[in-house]
Amino acid sequence: MTAVEEKDHFFRDLQDNENLMTEILGSSVDLVKRRITFHEHKNVQAICYYTDGLVDVIQIELFISDLLYKGNWLLQHTTLPTGPPLTLLKEHMLTNASFQVVKEVSQAVDGILSGVAVLILDGSDEVFVIQTKGWEKRGVDEPQTEQVVRGPRDGFTESIRTNTALVRRRIRDPKLRIEQMNIGKRSKTDVNIAYIEDIVKEGLVEEVKKRLRDIKIDAILESGYIEELIEDAPRSPFTTVQSTERPDKVASSILEGRVAIFVDNTPFVLVVPSFFWQFLQASDDYYSRFMTGSFFRAIRYLAFVLSLTLTSIYVMLVSFHQEMIPTQLILTIASGREVVPFPVLLEALLMEISFELMREAGLRMPKPVGQAAVSIVGSLVIGQAAVQAGIVSPFMVIIVALTGIASFAIPNYAASFSIRLIRFPLLIAAGTLGLLGFSAMFTLLAIHALTLRSFGESYLAPATPFQPNDQKDSIIRFPWWKMQMRPEGVTGDEKRVGDHQFPEPPNTDPYSKEGGKGKEEDQKDGSRKKKTRRIIKLKGEDEE
Amino acid sequence: MKVQISNGMFMALIINMIYAKAIGVTQGSMAREVGGDIWISTLIATIQGGVIMFLVILVIRRMPEGDLIDQAARLLGKWFGKFVALITFLFFLAAYGPVMSTFVFHLKDYFLPEAPILLFIIAAFLLGTYAIYFGVEVIARMALIGVFSIIALNILLMFGSLSEFDIRELRPTFQMGFLRTVWASRHHNTDWAMATIMAGIILPMVADKKTWGKMGFAGIGYGMVFIIMWPILEAGVLSPETAAQYIVSCMQMARSAQIGYFVHRYEMIMIAFFALSILTQIMMSLLCASVAMQKMLGLKDYRKVIIPTAIILSSFGYWINFDKNRAVDFLEGWWVYISIGVAVGLPFLILVMGFLFKKKLKKEIVAEEVK
Repeated sequence: MTAVEEKDHFFRDLQDNENLMTEILGSSVDLVKRRITFHEHKNVQAICYYTDGLVDVIQIELFISDLLYKGNWLLQHTTLPTGPPLTLLKEHMLTNASFQVVKEVSQAVDGILSGVAVLILDGSDEVFVIQTKGWEKRGVDEPQTEQVVRGPRDGFTESIRTNTALVRRRIRDPKLRIEQMNIGKRSKTDVNIAYIEDIVKEGLVEEVKKRLRDIKIDAILESGYIEELIEDAPRSPFTTVQSTERPDKVASSILEGRVAIFVDNTPFVLVVPSFFWQFLQASDDYYSRFMTGSFFRAIRYLAFVLSLTLTSIYVMLVSFHQEMIPTQLILTIASGREVVPFPVLLEALLMEISFELMREAGLRMPKPVGQAAVSIVGSLVIGQAAVQAGIVSPFMVIIVALTGIASFAIPNYAASFSIRLIRFPLLIAAGTLGLLGFSAMFTLLAIHALTLRSFGESYLAPATPFQPNDQKDSIIRFPWWKMQMRPEGVTGDEKRVGDHQFPEPPNTDPYSKEGGKGKEEDQKDGSRKKKTRRIIKLKGEDEE
Repeated sequence: MKVQISNGMFMALIINMIYAKAIGVTQGSMAREVGGDIWISTLIATIQGGVIMFLVILVIRRMPEGDLIDQAARLLGKWFGKFVALITFLFFLAAYGPVMSTFVFHLKDYFLPEAPILLFIIAAFLLGTYAIYFGVEVIARMALIGVFSIIALNILLMFGSLSEFDIRELRPTFQMGFLRTVWASRHHNTDWAMATIMAGIILPMVADKKTWGKMGFAGIGYGMVFIIMWPILEAGVLSPETAAQYIVSCMQMARSAQIGYFVHRYEMIMIAFFALSILTQIMMSLLCASVAMQKMLGLKDYRKVIIPTAIILSSFGYWINFDKNRAVDFLEGWWVYISIGVAVGLPFLILVMGFLFKKKLKKEIVAEEVK
């Protein structure tokens, strides 16, 4: 049992407290102990503890100077009510924005290790915990894994408070709740959960909190730890918790009734519950025009299908069902395969694994050395050289390259990796049992996906269970003036877009029946619009 | 919490349960008897199927918490319940033969002629047991997607074959006489029989009891709409004589359908869309047989008997399909009498018993409500 567990309350005597703290904290160079003596009143002594590097030094200096000079002056020149020194200090001298009084040693120690300053005063068994957090932070930068053409360029950082602030900037709703938790026996990582009180589905917040509270682990170093410990299907290749670096994505998820989980020291925020189709949707879909957004979303769906099945279908057709391929095409494929010594399945596996190797190498190697070298070697392995060497056929190169490109079109990295992973059993099944193997494995995957749930919600919703209203934001995205309701599952305030949001410009056609008048609403209270119309009319007359 | 499926899912299950066999294997059998009148036979069978479905819904409605087996047990005691469970088990055991025939004929004959039959049986065994372990909800959700693939399949086939359609092939109607056309409808009645007995087992799990009837008939109606296109096109495009020559006439039609140069062999796409329907048949047969077995043995959970039930059904499926002649004979002979006999006889028997033991049933219902 540690000293903290043995004795969790401070002594009144400063020396005893100092001994206790020395016993608990030991002698690390970054743990600073600063003894302060009030010169004119030597009977008042204090010790300030903080961790160098985690605190804002200027704040500490200001705080100590307040204590030493301002406090000293105040004590000499004003008549203060008598009482415990801690109360005097609290009520009359300390001007810090945030501080609290604690009694437990463990709480004070946790505070010191997380970047606050702890002031222990002689004669008091309570101590001050003063917020002085201030460590080096990375600036808000563009997310590395989820880039957009149109949309905000800010991404989450490693600081949890910056991250919650980025979301709070987007949702200035008093109903947005951000709750604090600490997870990890040794790391005591700050974890925040965010949701909108009158939108979030009933019971979801409690379920999230319960799952987080149930985590018993020594340290949480990244949100991936939490993801693995709270997900519904830990043995599944499908990821059932969405992670994102984009504050706008998190904000929109919260507005759709979901819960965001922020973890300190990582720019990846988790969103629950998650649905499979979300992983194929990008932020751009909502920022660009609905037709463009829908088109590119459809392209991504196609990319998903290609990435998952193209190689398998090719192997299946060439190995077992040649009659399904048009004669001219099969002749071309056969001539290309003439010099290849391997069966199609092996050829495909070789190419797929080479591709994965290159992707992994490109990711791990240092930028200045890696990327050019990998791309040169890559073009040799998956290219003309490999074909000329007789290792692979030109058709296989095209198939594997297309599959690879398709997998990169999937916006979520985790989902893209899952899809790449499940491609292999599908490929082996198709290459060994033809259509039967392919369809059996595909069906197994489908059954498995159908059984999945994410925080009680069906993973494949809104496709199954089929939710008609949510189809407006599934394969194609309807325009915003059509997506009036929040997704199903939201409770309370279900409406997100008001009525009559279809934009109608003023009618400027003088020959129309309405005689240059706009819609009914405009006629009722649209003095500004009427004016605009008149101006446009006059302009038109001028031009004539 | 008791598993519940939505009414839409129930409807989707009915559609899928009929579709896979009805569009090809059944049409081939009927074409051999009534030629171009297969579409009329299909319509007649649909009406008969509707009547049986009505009968089943009527029976289950009396005590909506229990399936056909539970109703029987409440009426005449535990042993009568076990007897009905045995009949239900035997029904789905027999059903597994034609279901596997449909599965094997489609895949083996058209895609993998050299593959041993055992391979298809094992694939069905693995898929079926895996799916039914998760319960009816998962199968029902697959069936819902299956409806969309059925729609896609029908639209694609129409695109590929309408240019070849000759309406003269459908004339004159009732070529073989009215009675023979009605008699030929028995082949399609076997498909309805599977759907209705399945309804007798799963209806208590369907959420909205008030609309059971409506949904049951909607399922029958939509099933008919999705299926009726096939006999009309098979007669009009292939000609009744050609359709009669093939065991799986729908595959022959898909083979001849041409959508474009690169989809010149359309049957593989057809199989992809058709797969969910045949898989629903496999899964529901296994599930219903497992439930019957569970009730026969008086167990609390059907999951314990999934593997033994699947082994029995798969062995039967293998034995039937090992010899193609045996498979076709069973499909067009024994199976017809077993399926229609059970599908009509069982609900009718329980309905009549219900009238005879009205008072006892009422007491049971009141006791149930008090619980």
